[in-house]
Amino acid sequence: MNGATTALPRSANGGRAARRALVRWSVRLFRREWRQQLLVLSLLTLAVAATIVGIAIGANATTTVQAELGSASHLLTIDGHASKLSEDLDAARAAFGTIEVISHQDVVVPGSVAPLDLRDQDPHGAFKHATLRLVSGRYPTGPDEAAVTDGAATALDVQVGVAVRTGDRTRQVVGVVENPLNLSDEFVLVPTGQATPAAHVSVLAHITDEQLTSFHTIDGTGLSVQSGGDVTSSQAAAIMLAISTVGMLFIGLLAVSGFTVMAQRRLRALGMLESIGATDRHVRLVMLANGAVVGLVSAIAGAALGLTAWLGFAPHLERILRHRVEHVNRFDLPWWALVATMALAFLTAVVAAWWPARSVSRVPVVAALSGRPPDPQPAHRSAAVGALLAGGGYLLLFFWRSTAPMLVAGILATTIGMLFLAPVAIRALAAIGGRAPVSIRLALRDLVRYQARSGAALGAITLAIGIAATIAVADSSMQATADAAAPNGNLRDTELVVYLGRESTAPIPDASATALATAQASAQQIVTAVGAASAITLQAAINPDAATLPPLGNQPGGRMPASLAKVKSIGNGTSVQIVSAIYVATPELLASAGLTADGLDPAADIVSPRDLNGLQLELGRRDPTVPKVQVYDLAAYTSEPTTMISTASMQRLNLQPITAGWLIRSDSALTSAQISAARRIAADAGLTIETRTTTGPNGALGTDSTTIGALIALAVLAMTVGLIRSETAGDLRTLTAAGASTRTRRWLVGATAGALGLLGAVLGILGAHLAVLAWNHGRLGSLAHTPIANLLMLIVGLPLVAMTAGWVLAGRQPPTIARAALT
Amino acid sequence: MSMLEMRQVTKRYGHGPTEVNALRGVDLCVDPGELVAVMGPSGSGKSSLLTIAGSLEAPTSGEVFVGGADLLAMSRNETARLRRRSIGYVFQDFNLLAGLTAAENVALPLELDGTSVKVARRAAMLALGELGLDDKASRFPDQLSGGERQRVAVARAVVGDRRLLLADEPSGALDSENGEAVMRLVRAACSRGVAGVVVTHDAQLASWADRVIFLRDGRVADSTAAVPGPESLLTGGRPS
Repeated sequence: MNGATTALPRSANGGRAARRALVRWSVRLFRREWRQQLLVLSLLTLAVAATIVGIAIGANATTTVQAELGSASHLLTIDGHASKLSEDLDAARAAFGTIEVISHQDVVVPGSVAPLDLRDQDPHGAFKHATLRLVSGRYPTGPDEAAVTDGAATALDVQVGVAVRTGDRTRQVVGVVENPLNLSDEFVLVPTGQATPAAHVSVLAHITDEQLTSFHTIDGTGLSVQSGGDVTSSQAAAIMLAISTVGMLFIGLLAVSGFTVMAQRRLRALGMLESIGATDRHVRLVMLANGAVVGLVSAIAGAALGLTAWLGFAPHLERILRHRVEHVNRFDLPWWALVATMALAFLTAVVAAWWPARSVSRVPVVAALSGRPPDPQPAHRSAAVGALLAGGGYLLLFFWRSTAPMLVAGILATTIGMLFLAPVAIRALAAIGGRAPVSIRLALRDLVRYQARSGAALGAITLAIGIAATIAVADSSMQATADAAAPNGNLRDTELVVYLGRESTAPIPDASATALATAQASAQQIVTAVGAASAITLQAAINPDAATLPPLGNQPGGRMPASLAKVKSIGNGTSVQIVSAIYVATPELLASAGLTADGLDPAADIVSPRDLNGLQLELGRRDPTVPKVQVYDLAAYTSEPTTMISTASMQRLNLQPITAGWLIRSDSALTSAQISAARRIAADAGLTIETRTTTGPNGALGTDSTTIGALIALAVLAMTVGLIRSETAGDLRTLTAAGASTRTRRWLVGATAGALGLLGAVLGILGAHLAVLAWNHGRLGSLAHTPIANLLMLIVGLPLVAMTAGWVLAGRQPPTIARAALT
Repeated sequence: MSMLEMRQVTKRYGHGPTEVNALRGVDLCVDPGELVAVMGPSGSGKSSLLTIAGSLEAPTSGEVFVGGADLLAMSRNETARLRRRSIGYVFQDFNLLAGLTAAENVALPLELDGTSVKVARRAAMLALGELGLDDKASRFPDQLSGGERQRVAVARAVVGDRRLLLADEPSGALDSENGEAVMRLVRAACSRGVAGVVVTHDAQLASWADRVIFLRDGRVADSTAAVPGPESLLTGGRPS
């Protein structure tokens, strides 16, 4: 037989023939063992799908600026009361060429403090046509017609075919419209030229910055400008880039984890291959080919799944994005980005296979043939590299996050650094567990013994938890920021204020005892309607010497409450601009702000969380009073009214209390139905209500991300723990032979899963906080609102679930282990 | 020139209190066409001797030459090439690659060395045919019996221009009949000029060898010519 092959041609490294043989074997192995790779395949497919859905959402998530500007480049808002408004508009036409003018009027909503926007937008306007859509009925054409949005219809309690009183005129509702780019934009639409007198005028134009700079209103005042500038788009691009980078990193870590498992499973076969003359390069090729096959299958399956999910899920996303998705065209996606994602996923899988391939090719042949994993590397080396990378990456994120290459480099360096730090964490935990019971001690030491795969798995778990925790922490931080920044009384989404007057700083009607009792009964009805427990009475301070104001338009007459104002001298007179209302510091209002009457400075006029510099007490007297302010620390999440006038000050200033309204607090966020019910009750009783006017993050995002992150981490744990425990089957047999019970086996598996889960949660949460801190340029305040429940779910719930699952599933010893020989 | 020459080879595993001296100054020469059996109790260093001779691991000290080439002077890639071209290894548990058919397993060393699929497959079929396995060529290892698997492993070890055949307990997982059959194949390969080293516990199988060396505690305790095997009675001399 030797003679048959004596003259066979040979090349030094085997050449194409060798590569073909190895790729063939690798593909054959994949086909035979695809079930063993199902978990990593599924996770990679899901990661690709999630990235593609993320990109699709990002591409369709129009900004509020787009919702305002449509296809124009700039929006100029001119004060409607400007004396030379028509001249200003003529000048704008002359300077900019084509412009679109939309006039806005504020329409009183019965029972509500917040007015509605009445606008005379042309449905076929030059720029803003994308921001108007007819839902049903038709557009208004005559002066006595109007169309309304859903929210406006609810607020005004009208429908198509019903007449509605808007401003000084009654109009017939002929259609329902919406702003498809911002479904929160509630308004009443009237034909062009019918919103007069205008409170303000929007002028849309597609112009250059130079054209804008050269434009001024006739009197030089009352102009504000908004542009679809590059800042917003570059921020969106940076976020998209960050999502893609983290997504790909996660795919990479998952793949490294999965391929490390696969390399260990194939260690003997690869040893066999080496024993018949395969070089290190040949061994690496087998693993890389496997990575390529897995990457290709995942990329194709993930893209198909992602696109299907996007198409099916897009309509539901409208609720989250608050704009119509179909309006943007679901197929109008950045296809290059999707193809790039697939290519990157493929490349990532190949690159991820390289590291385990390199490791396994370095295992001595004899060790590989016996299936022995390589000895763990000293942890301090990887720790030094990890600390260097993580530290460097963090600095990049901290200082240069707005530069795309630096952002990517920062995320990459930080994440890879964490991967290198994983072995140290594993060893530290093993050292801590040195005195634990034998099953837990053994589990922790096995994590160290098999740190190549436990380290990669820990990296993937940490990243999954890190992403989830980052979203939860950022969401909580944004929610708190939104709470603090919410306009019109700074109310939380759980609060509602009922006013006897039009609003907080408007005149308060001189109500008789009977009228007041009726109003109080209505307030109590509202308390019941919103499911609140009780209401706090708000008392304003009035100057008894001041005259009662007569009714003005829709505004009832009454006594002006004491308020805080900015007072300026203009010529011989003064200009008083009321800034905010103040209420009497009653014991219950003080308690709601976390204060007591005993804690008040007797000399102070006002207690407030702000120093109120430049503000004066407006009491309807000739000379405004400069108050002495006692500043106090506001407890977290406490909202307005927080500025109060002390009773001692009222005596000094000769003021009298008068009931102004009621503050109602519910345990949960008020729904639109509850708000509508409250508004109807208020309108019927001649009262008005105020609720939060903006919709910020509501915490659902943080909870969803926490759940998804925990599930992904559990999947990675299942993949890793199963392998580590199957490779220590010999230990299990030895333990069994030494008299260990099923319970010991259960604890061994449970402790392995729990320990990895705990480490991943700790590192992930730590990383999340650092990421949020870096993103906010080190502002510690951004971490002030920790989502305790979400983080507890990750740091306690995840390890417990992992441990319990491991404990339960380890009950039955697999036959392959039972039959294995003792070593 | 000897096909395999080992001079004062030592092998130590571990260090400190866990140090084990598997081989202590072993000398061994195997000429082309010669079959040497290595016997000894467990832990005597038999398998270490074979893995070092087969370039699967390096000795702690000493010299190893295969076909005159110094293994210690070679890189990992060069020893891999040597294994592809000159050394055939037969393991106790066959070590066939599960994803490849019998023919593909046999052809693999040739393909790794750059031989085209067609030529390598032809050579593999020839080797299998000589071992009576041509009808099993397209079967996967898990579709073959133990004896058939070991015959495939032998075919893989001798396909091409192999000059050194190393077998570690080749009949360890087989019954006596299949064990004898495998030894017959090894013997046949040696008769064509291949130098063979077989590690075995079985004196009956060692009797197929030209020479038997005994290892004890990592040292060659004895070396002797074996009693002619049963087939020598038929051939009137050296078994063939």
